[in-house]
Amino acid sequence: MGPYLLRRLAHMVPLLLGITFLSFFVINLAPGDFFSTLKMNPSIRPETIAELQRQFGYGEPLLTRYFKWLWRALHFDLGMSLAYRVNVAELIGMRVFNTVILSVASMVFTWSLAIPIGILVALRPDSFTDRVLSFVAFFGMSVPNFFLAFLLMYAALQTGWFPVGGSTSIDYDSLGVGGRLLDRAHHLILPVIVLGTSGMASLMRLMRANIIEMKRAEFLLTARAKGLPERVVVLKHILRNALNPFITLAGYELGSLLGGAALVEAVMNLQGLGTLMLDAVRSLDIYLVMASVLIGSLLLLIGNLFADVALTLVDPRIDFTRLEADR
Amino acid sequence: MIARRGAAFGFAAWLAWGCASDPSTPTSTPAPVTASKRGQQLTTATISDPKTFNPILVTDSASGMALGDLFEALVRMNPKTTETEPQLAERWEYNADGTVCTFYLRKDVRWHDGKPFTARDVAFTYKAIFDDRVPNSTKHVLTIDGKPIKVEAIDDFTVRFQLPRPFAPLLNSISTEIVPEHILGESLANGTFAQQWGIDTPPEKLIGTGPYRMAQYVPAQYVRFKRNPDYWKRDDSGQPLPYLEEQTLLIVPNQDTLFLKFRAGQTDIHQPRPEEIADLQRDSQQLNITVREIGIDTGTQFVVFNRSPKHYEREGKRDPQLTWFTDKHFLQGLAHAIDKQSMTVNCFSGYGVPAVADISPENKLFHNPNLADYSYNLDEARRVLAEGGYALKDGVLRDRDGNAIEFSLYTNSGNQLREQMSAILKEDWTKLGMKVNYRPLDFPALVEKIDTTFDWDAILIGFTGGIEPHNGANMLRSSGNLHMWNPNQTTPATDWEKTIDTLVEEGSRELDIEKRRRVYWKIQEILHIELPMIQTVRQRMFVAVKNYVQNYEPYVWGVYRPERIRIAE
Repeated sequence: MGPYLLRRLAHMVPLLLGITFLSFFVINLAPGDFFSTLKMNPSIRPETIAELQRQFGYGEPLLTRYFKWLWRALHFDLGMSLAYRVNVAELIGMRVFNTVILSVASMVFTWSLAIPIGILVALRPDSFTDRVLSFVAFFGMSVPNFFLAFLLMYAALQTGWFPVGGSTSIDYDSLGVGGRLLDRAHHLILPVIVLGTSGMASLMRLMRANIIEMKRAEFLLTARAKGLPERVVVLKHILRNALNPFITLAGYELGSLLGGAALVEAVMNLQGLGTLMLDAVRSLDIYLVMASVLIGSLLLLIGNLFADVALTLVDPRIDFTRLEADR
Repeated sequence: MIARRGAAFGFAAWLAWGCASDPSTPTSTPAPVTASKRGQQLTTATISDPKTFNPILVTDSASGMALGDLFEALVRMNPKTTETEPQLAERWEYNADGTVCTFYLRKDVRWHDGKPFTARDVAFTYKAIFDDRVPNSTKHVLTIDGKPIKVEAIDDFTVRFQLPRPFAPLLNSISTEIVPEHILGESLANGTFAQQWGIDTPPEKLIGTGPYRMAQYVPAQYVRFKRNPDYWKRDDSGQPLPYLEEQTLLIVPNQDTLFLKFRAGQTDIHQPRPEEIADLQRDSQQLNITVREIGIDTGTQFVVFNRSPKHYEREGKRDPQLTWFTDKHFLQGLAHAIDKQSMTVNCFSGYGVPAVADISPENKLFHNPNLADYSYNLDEARRVLAEGGYALKDGVLRDRDGNAIEFSLYTNSGNQLREQMSAILKEDWTKLGMKVNYRPLDFPALVEKIDTTFDWDAILIGFTGGIEPHNGANMLRSSGNLHMWNPNQTTPATDWEKTIDTLVEEGSRELDIEKRRRVYWKIQEILHIELPMIQTVRQRMFVAVKNYVQNYEPYVWGVYRPERIRIAE
């Protein structure tokens, strides 16, 4: 296991280099740059823009700029945001907490609903329940997130049951600890529903398919022949084997933890990384974009590694030490 | 004030199929917040996060909004009259030849930390502005014929501005907020001024002289302000100002959400988009709001044609487009074919007025009211075009050499207003037999075309407007980089551009306001005849406000005496 881990970690280095190098160049291939917006403002003089460009090293060749960025990144300095003139790490730090809460909450929501439902419908495939639940799940998947967000916000406005956007109330600071927790949770409900439902259908279908497939496995004949009660067959043999792919999936989820809720964040007025990064990409705030690329790919790679390692622990058929030896 | 049962407002029609809101079903209504329970606090909203807390470095409106109540300048613009009025300076006077302006400062002003405000702070602020390591535009505005103005403190409460020559835009250009030397002095000395007061600065460290202090900033959520109890301004009966104890500026990065939040009673003031106005007016009683028209957009949306020869000369041959785009007949023909009425209805829900001059009518001092708009008249358009030798052949408009008229119209994608306007322009001009290829582009890509590659035919774009016309010199001057139709010229390509160059120079020197006004009137007249920019429509601006907000006097240029806003008891 040890050498395998080392080898996997070593593979990450060229991968990360490649990803960041490509991203850096692709962003710079796009016509225009961060300063484009300033250029169209008559009250900002070209001399000012030239000064800003010089301060951010825009005069140098692209390759030099990339390696300067890389060198600093290796020293844990991700550079300054062009728009905010504040260290990128600082900006991300200000918002990362909310994004993680939102992602984790919607993940828990999705998984804790999708897996039991998947099991339920798989035990009686093509029954009425199966059809109804599948329909609901696919509906959730096919309605665009931002649209569902609007629907729910409109409902919140009509009923007054939920806040219309935001992560906290205005009087958040005057609340006690319990009040704060409740306030945050109250604000989280709608966004979690929006984000959670979108991933539900695929997870549920995956669970369903896995179990149906497992039910046909030959070793179940043996198990049943031994006289094991059906409850044990389902829980011990079918479920355990059907859960394997979910461990891999959980690893992937780590990579998307900080990413993709930008539209929902914008619509529901949540303070997260998604909107920050969306703005950064739109305005070509390069170091901010690079930081998100770097962090995102790092999380994805580490998540993958976790998933693979976890798989070996769960499934004795997968043995990396032997795989290494086979090479 | 919140739940409106079965309302169908704004995009509600679009949402309708999904909303199970039955008008007969009573929904739970949260208890309305009464005015007395509110206390003296006001909640407003802005669309994006501030980018910096350093007033010298601000280039975006969100930062300006967040800092507006924290810092003060020597003078401020009165949004009601658009005149310059005293703020930190009590009065000022010019010497006889207009090259020295002396400001006499108020003696009762203190910084938020209790230290007295003096002329040294003013001199320091301008020292920072003119520092090479501090990127800002004020320095370039105040650099006259290559020479910076000199700012020196004569005594504790007198500051002298020495100008290389008379400079009329001075008073409109020194709205820069004054910052404290005792806090920022060291950073200017060691070259870190441009990194001071970023958005990661704890709010209590932001020291200004303004009516409020920043109490808290939560990124992407809100900025909170608390009243400065030692503010120098008093009301007519000697009561200290401001009246409001607390202000909250919500950050809401989505227009639809902004609207929902106002409807839900979470904000007190809202600037509605045209499509929201009628809904708010209809529900004003129930929402306990008043919807007011505050004037006409100070900016302008226009079409500009590329007259830069670089774009048209390929392999020794000259594209005929350059001839069309520099031909008055061609441009005036197009101007007569813009259906501004339909633009008003379709793009502004009816809340618009045709734009004639590039300076908005709201700029009462400099707007030229004598220009007659090019009426929407296709026959007239065809007549003007025929005069220039353009004729229809088989339904296709051709120039006198037989070239079919065809060009691309660009605008920045994602700007719904401009996309709608472009669609109308394309339709209108197609009626004349031209072929117009509509090409929306990303904003940075569009700017790259205007600024670097010059590879474009026509662009629909807009500028926001200010009071001081000299701030548009960059666009007016033939050598300016924002002289979009043919930027960075070494010598003016046409006589009228040469004339404008001279007028711009004259306008910056003329201290007599009547004479100065005539100069800018003349410039607007030339632009109106030569049509390097064909103006479209300006929006009529509205504001919706809760009825318990008193003394709130909004104008398109800003709020008049905002420190007097109060909440009804």
